[in-house]
Amino acid sequence: MTLPVLSLITWAPFVGALLIMFTARHRPLAVRLIAAVTTGISMAGSLWIYAVYDREAAGFQFYEKLPLVPPLGISYELGADGISLLLVLLTSIIIFAGVFASWTVVVRSQEFYALLLALVTGVFGVFVSLDLFVLFLFYELAVLPMYLLIGIWGSSGEIRPRGIFAWAYRETGVGTKEYAAMKLTLYLLFGSAFILVGIFALYVNAGAASFSFLDLEAASFSPAVQRWVFLAFYLGFGILAGIWPLHTWSPDGHSSAPTAVSMLHAGVLMKLGAYGIVRIAMGLLPQGTSDWVWLVGTIATINIVYGALAAMAQTDLKYVIAYSSVSHMGIVLLGAATLTEAGLNGSVFQMFAHGIMTGLFFAIVGLVYEKAHSREIGRMGGFGQVMPGIATAFTVGGLSSLGLPATAGFVAELLTFMGAWRSAHVWWLFPAVAGTFLTAVYVLRVAKQIFWGPPSPHVHPLEDARGPEWVALILLVAVLVVFGMVPGIAIAPVVPATVALLSRIVGP
Amino acid sequence: MPTPDIVRALLLELGLAALLLLVFAANLGLRGADRRVVGWIATGGVLVLGFTSFLVAPAPAALGGMFVQDGLAIFAKRLFLGATLIGLLASLGEPEVAFARRAGEYHLLLLSSLLGMLVLASARDVILLFVAFELMSIPLYVLAGFLKRRDEAVEAALKFFLVGSVSSAVMAYGLSFVYGAARSTDLAKVAQAAASGQPLVTLGLLAAFAGFAFKIAAFPFHMWVPDTYEAASTPFVAWLSVAPKAAGFVALFRVYFEGAGERAAAWIPVAAGLATLTIVAGNLMALPQQNTKRLLAYSGIAHIGYMLVGFAAASASGVAMVLFYLVAYVFGNMGAFLVVEAVARTEGSESTAALRGLAQRSPLLALAMLLFLLSLGGVPFVAGFWAKLYVFWAAATVGLYWLVLLGAVLTVVALFYYLLVAKRMYIEPPERTGRVRLSPTLAAAVLLCVAGVLVLGVYPKPLVMAALRVAAPLF
Repeated sequence: MTLPVLSLITWAPFVGALLIMFTARHRPLAVRLIAAVTTGISMAGSLWIYAVYDREAAGFQFYEKLPLVPPLGISYELGADGISLLLVLLTSIIIFAGVFASWTVVVRSQEFYALLLALVTGVFGVFVSLDLFVLFLFYELAVLPMYLLIGIWGSSGEIRPRGIFAWAYRETGVGTKEYAAMKLTLYLLFGSAFILVGIFALYVNAGAASFSFLDLEAASFSPAVQRWVFLAFYLGFGILAGIWPLHTWSPDGHSSAPTAVSMLHAGVLMKLGAYGIVRIAMGLLPQGTSDWVWLVGTIATINIVYGALAAMAQTDLKYVIAYSSVSHMGIVLLGAATLTEAGLNGSVFQMFAHGIMTGLFFAIVGLVYEKAHSREIGRMGGFGQVMPGIATAFTVGGLSSLGLPATAGFVAELLTFMGAWRSAHVWWLFPAVAGTFLTAVYVLRVAKQIFWGPPSPHVHPLEDARGPEWVALILLVAVLVVFGMVPGIAIAPVVPATVALLSRIVGP
Repeated sequence: MPTPDIVRALLLELGLAALLLLVFAANLGLRGADRRVVGWIATGGVLVLGFTSFLVAPAPAALGGMFVQDGLAIFAKRLFLGATLIGLLASLGEPEVAFARRAGEYHLLLLSSLLGMLVLASARDVILLFVAFELMSIPLYVLAGFLKRRDEAVEAALKFFLVGSVSSAVMAYGLSFVYGAARSTDLAKVAQAAASGQPLVTLGLLAAFAGFAFKIAAFPFHMWVPDTYEAASTPFVAWLSVAPKAAGFVALFRVYFEGAGERAAAWIPVAAGLATLTIVAGNLMALPQQNTKRLLAYSGIAHIGYMLVGFAAASASGVAMVLFYLVAYVFGNMGAFLVVEAVARTEGSESTAALRGLAQRSPLLALAMLLFLLSLGGVPFVAGFWAKLYVFWAAATVGLYWLVLLGAVLTVVALFYYLLVAKRMYIEPPERTGRVRLSPTLAAAVLLCVAGVLVLGVYPKPLVMAALRVAAPLF
């Protein structure tokens, strides 16, 4: 019998969460060590499957199946193809870095780590589940702890509402962590209602009495079903992927969340939405995909430009990063909507690259906030002199974000643009390129102001990253550069998966 | 000597009647101000009856077909007895002096209402059904005003009584039409008459439906609910919010579905419309509530709406899913009320503000409340998720997709106000320190509810199968 490696990756953090709750109460160091070890196990596992994945055979490998409710066709069924492989790797890197980035959480730290690890199990579960029902359960597990994580350990922004709607903002508490937590949870649960209805519609219409992805893939659905169900999935998963105009939970949520949660949420959870669209909506509904791809691509271009413009207007550093995520998620969905091999590869690669990049950004913002006690860009300046390590890391991330060659971001954007050029909607290329341009503007402006400009009068004696914090920064920067230099190692396993997906939609 | 059929069929009812007499006699024998012993006798008796209910087997119809002990009846009786056990356990430690002095009165009334429910679950005759309904309802009016020195309690009881008696009158009026057209009080004959499409029967059943809607507190017949819940004692309210509702649904199944076959589909538009109104109204009215009991009252109305979604499916699986929902609702809703009671006993307040920082004061109690709220909100891994999922499933199989979508979207509204309560417990800092102390009996009742919510949440299959089994013969 083979080792159930996907289960090991998925459940190791959950076991860690249980251990923390029951054994490590009031022992902060033990809490952190358990978290580091269990997420380390997940990372080792995901590196291992990444190395041994049979690139020739392609398809779903490391297959596990255990019937749960046979009469209804629900089973615990796991498997990973090239796309899941890359995203599992991303998740394990981000959470491993996240554990180190939140080393300094003091208040109720055992509960924090327990919730964080439980959430990560949900994320891994979504990426490797082949049973849609179990996938949905994992999805909920990935969403629900977020409420408490943001509500308890988050931070409220320094927004002072102005203008004629100021009273309404004050009334609803815009900018506070409670508001952000509630908004995020409700948006995502609203989306999950559509996902659930979509999953049931597929289950009922397939008539196979099975929730298995493989069985549903073999079934054929009528055009009407495909149209409606694709829309339900697009809306449901799209909310999590941050599609305009349903993206507004994301800047609020990511800005208010504690560092590790922002890293995980912007870096990985938004990919959950994109993954759902690519794997489930596009993978199971080829006809629906061709019908709606114009909408997906158009909204993606709006995301790219709107997100970048909104990021330019922000004065709060965390909001800049959060809006840049909205913009970059547009590139992910645009790549998918091109229905070309290059575009889809770019989309998957962008999920990975953006995940690492945003994770790095939020880790840095967390560090800066902890040291300077401010998120306002205007109050910071000249940090490059006192924290050169952090400044360098930020700059590398920024260059990747604006797509400089030799970084992972460049590869992803280039592939996506190539896809857009060859797609049926060539005009998508223009807003997409314009978005990259705008990204350069706001990223360089922030980098210059905070790190490389003249010192601000508000600066107190500051220091560079220390001890465990370096782990997070070095790990993420290294991944960003390595995958930018040698993108082939990431793209090779993805290609068979995207080719198979495309052949179902547009024919071989 | 073989047991006569009638005793086999009526075993639980006879046992409960004996328990009533025992409680009555014990109450007469007791002297002094503290008569709590009566409560223990009643609780013990219900516990014994609860165990017995798992031993009784379906029996042939008794009393000339009026009284039937079939799978549905037994399932419902187990539910009533279980809910009553939790309610009685929780009220044992009630600090209010009236509960010690007038314990006999309280338990006699509660048990006679329970007797009404047990008979109702088995009634297959219009007259018996109506009598059982009244036997169930009238003690409830008295119990709602049990704390008679409080003005609000008296007002709540009066409101409850007026609305309840009007609904009984409407129901009796409707049933008289049914009798006139069907020329029989036997529900099987009524079903035949309805199947032949006599307009008078349909009219009568429609009027009776309004009466039932009062009893289960569907919108727009819900007005008595929040006031009554707020004023009456919490353990009683916890029980009131589940057991009579469950009885109402069982009666609905008997009158509208049993033997109706294909004709049951005629009730789909009525039930779906009522479900829509009830879900929307209940959830929206719950939003601004600051008193936890009122919040739970309005959210309870919304839950009745979700159960009506299952009813609207008008199929065996729909009925089964409502039965499952009722069980999940018993644990989730009673549990939430009991946590409110526990907090109110130390804090002296039932507002949501009293729950502030509970997670830091009593982490386990807060976790229990969170589980109940999540179950009521329909979140995976707790019972309420499956309950909602199954009623939606049943509705989707008959093509009511719009109702499913509406219900699913309004679940998010419900989660909003449940999360507001969770926010009070987990995010806001406590105003006072120190644990919230629970009396052992109340703790036991809360634990029972937690166990129910978790077990059903992780492993719902046996109960679903049991519900499907008892619902199948109806169609």
